[in-house]
Amino acid sequence: MASSPPTATRPLLELEQLKMHFPITRGLLHRVVGHVKAVDGVDLTVHSGETLALVGESGCGKTTLGRCVVRIYQPTGGAIRYRDEDGSFADLTVLQGASLRPYRRAVRMIFQDPYASLNPRKTVLQIVGESLRRHDNIGGVELEQRVAELLRRVGLRPEYIRRYPHAFSGGERQRIGVARALALHPRLVIADEAVSALDVSVQAQILNLLQELQAEFDLTYLFVAHDLSVVDYISDRVAVMYVGKLVEVGSRARVFAMPKHPYTEALLSAVPKPDPRLRSAGARVRLSGDVADPANPPTGCYFHPRCRYAQDRCAVEAPPLRELGDGHRVACHFAEELELAGVAGA
Amino acid sequence: MPGGGGRDLLLEIKGLKTHFFTDEGVVKAVDGADFPIARGKTVCVVGESGCGKSVTARSILQIVDRPGRIVEGRILLHRESEEVVDLAAMAPTGKAIRAIRGKEIAMIFQEPMSSLSPVHTIGNQIVEMIRLHLPMTTEQARDRAAELLERVGIPQAGRRLDSYVFQLSGGMRQRAMIAMALSCRPNLLIADEPTTALDVTTEATILDLIKELQRDLNMTVMFITHDLGVVAEIADDVVVMYLGKVAETAAVDPIFHDPKHPYTRALHQSIPKFGDTQRGALEAIRGMVPHPFARPDGCTFHPRCESFMPGECDRVAPPAVVMESGTTVRCLLYGGSDGSGAVRDDAGGHAGTAGGEAGARAPGKGASGPRAADQGAAG
Ligand SMILES: Nc1ncnc2c1ncn2[C@@H]1O[C@H](COP(=O)(O)OP(=O)(O)OP(=O)(O)O)[C@@H](O)[C@H]1O
Ligand SMILES: Nc1ncnc2c1ncn2[C@@H]1O[C@H](COP(=O)(O)OP(=O)(O)O)[C@@H](O)[C@H]1O
Ligand code: SF4
Ligand code: SF4
Ligand SMILES: [Mg+2]
Ligand SMILES: [Mg+2]
Repeated sequence: MASSPPTATRPLLELEQLKMHFPITRGLLHRVVGHVKAVDGVDLTVHSGETLALVGESGCGKTTLGRCVVRIYQPTGGAIRYRDEDGSFADLTVLQGASLRPYRRAVRMIFQDPYASLNPRKTVLQIVGESLRRHDNIGGVELEQRVAELLRRVGLRPEYIRRYPHAFSGGERQRIGVARALALHPRLVIADEAVSALDVSVQAQILNLLQELQAEFDLTYLFVAHDLSVVDYISDRVAVMYVGKLVEVGSRARVFAMPKHPYTEALLSAVPKPDPRLRSAGARVRLSGDVADPANPPTGCYFHPRCRYAQDRCAVEAPPLRELGDGHRVACHFAEELELAGVAGA
Repeated sequence: MPGGGGRDLLLEIKGLKTHFFTDEGVVKAVDGADFPIARGKTVCVVGESGCGKSVTARSILQIVDRPGRIVEGRILLHRESEEVVDLAAMAPTGKAIRAIRGKEIAMIFQEPMSSLSPVHTIGNQIVEMIRLHLPMTTEQARDRAAELLERVGIPQAGRRLDSYVFQLSGGMRQRAMIAMALSCRPNLLIADEPTTALDVTTEATILDLIKELQRDLNMTVMFITHDLGVVAEIADDVVVMYLGKVAETAAVDPIFHDPKHPYTRALHQSIPKFGDTQRGALEAIRGMVPHPFARPDGCTFHPRCESFMPGECDRVAPPAVVMESGTTVRCLLYGGSDGSGAVRDDAGGHAGTAGGEAGARAPGKGASGPRAADQGAAG
């Protein structure tokens, strides 16, 4: 149950014209011959206590955006404004070293692959306790108690504290990842495809756990996912990304029921509906071709080569992300005119 | 399977057991699986990770990895000539199965790189496959390869013949692999999670393609997936596997609208329903798939089952019960719970709807219809 955002929706994080351009280099001298514009001018606000889902096909820049927010990457442009508990804002893109530390504990990440993201040579105690040791300087019995408590909270037996990751199943490893992310009582958790690699049943357990923890610890989630049924289930708002840019942002209910961008319509239409009686219901929108190359994007609207509604103007003029009302923002020249299909009942 | 007798069968899997003899012990990956595959239909095999879906598929082609092998059971291939051959009895490296692989039965995988070579062009690989099985010149085979690439929706197919796999995107690789699998016009295409690693948008186009090919070529498809949405989209029949056995088989509609086995129901309850306005907590199946060395007694699903009946489910292995609706289910709620010796661990004896016998009914009580309140039987 996607907990409704608190009545006074206060921003926790504001991304302004965020850019992450990776240089493409050639030759011995690493001459820069171009840039992969993985994130290219994203404006996005994450409200306190909400779950904001970031969706799009693979290669659209979702992971890169998440990594900028936790500062695994140093963004190449724009600002990441984070609101402290006292109400003041700090720009995370300019902070370095010690001044970044408080934010490193407040903003944590859960990774996609429960196998690759845990160090196989460390015990659960070391993995989950690492940040506590580093940030809170605790060790010994106290550390063990804190870690045991965290394990219990995510549904793992505290007796397993000295086990290594290989002794756990995929779902249990993802729980370890969740415990690690929660150790420092963060306010914002970036979950990058946190349930994508899991079996249906285990996925359900982890989704339930994330919901419970959100209510209990007043967490805010930036939930990166490509499975729209999961997004439909867990999120309050949805941001749709295409080739480094946002193309549609709005409440889950609005975006899913009344999408205003042709790309969103295509994504929604592609989701297989779990009912054979709906097989032939509704018009199928199929996207041909691949996501555009972010190093060499098309002119005008980046989506135009794949868009079934494209007109001449689309190939020359890039549509800005503009507000349609009620916080619903869309980047399409024809957002008002197009009649796009959403998901019934959303 | 749905309809019971009278359907034209292509393949029958009967009492199949495929075990892995590892240093730590025996992994009973497939442990008495029974199900038929009807000619010209799409059957989806579903179940959680580790339930034996892939090993079943690999057993059909006799490509089980060492230290695994088929230890029991039959895999009957019914040819159009009415000839019936048992694939399980063929030597894995023998001539007989090699003539079938890629020709009568072809397989595609989640990871295209496992069936496509990185060092040969797509065209050469398809040409080689065609010439292995069909009397064609290189020229003829090359034309055919180009036709196939075009058929699976690869643009500029003629030019793509000279591409290497790494030059293609994920969706294109999947298409190239399908083209290769189709090169000898197989009767049966086995697809092991071919879309799991793909984006929804690419997945949708690949599913469309498989549906279209199935219809146009009147091909039979066995499609392995854990995504019930995909099942709803493409299946005619469904096989639900749990721990190496078949929990339930039925036509796709009853699997979604009248599921019998508690495991099938639990799988449904654990997925978020797209477009559903009810946003309650998901009902995750409790616990997880047991360790392969620690198979529970009786019904292997009993430690996780909502309807567990103590003293019965943990003692008696449920026999296959064919219901009037055509569903075949292995659960004591539907019969066999008296624990009479006759229904214990039947290893395929009851499961067969072989060659159209009107359903070998399990002798247990209530075998002919579902008991009213299955949930009510919970212990
Ligand atoms: N080479 C092997 N050696 C030992 N055990 C194996 C081997 N291959 C598979 N198994 C075991 O056989 C069982 C069934 O595996 P299988 O790959 O068929 O599962 P699956 O249903 O296809 O799962 P998934 O959805 O994860 O693909 C598992 O317990 C697995 O660990
Ligand atoms: N370290 C990097 N160097 C160069 N290009 C990168 C790097 N990381 C990601 N990219 C590119 O940026 C684009 C967006 O990638 P990513 O953020 O991983 O997408 P998503 O998470 O949406 O699948 C892709 O084209 C990818 O190849
Ligand atoms: S601006 Fe044009 S090409 Fe872009 S999404 Fe809208 S209609 Fe399609
Ligand atoms: S009711 Fe008993 S026999 Fe049926 S699935 Fe549950 S545990 Fe198995
Ligand atoms: Mg990613
Ligand atoms: Mg498998």
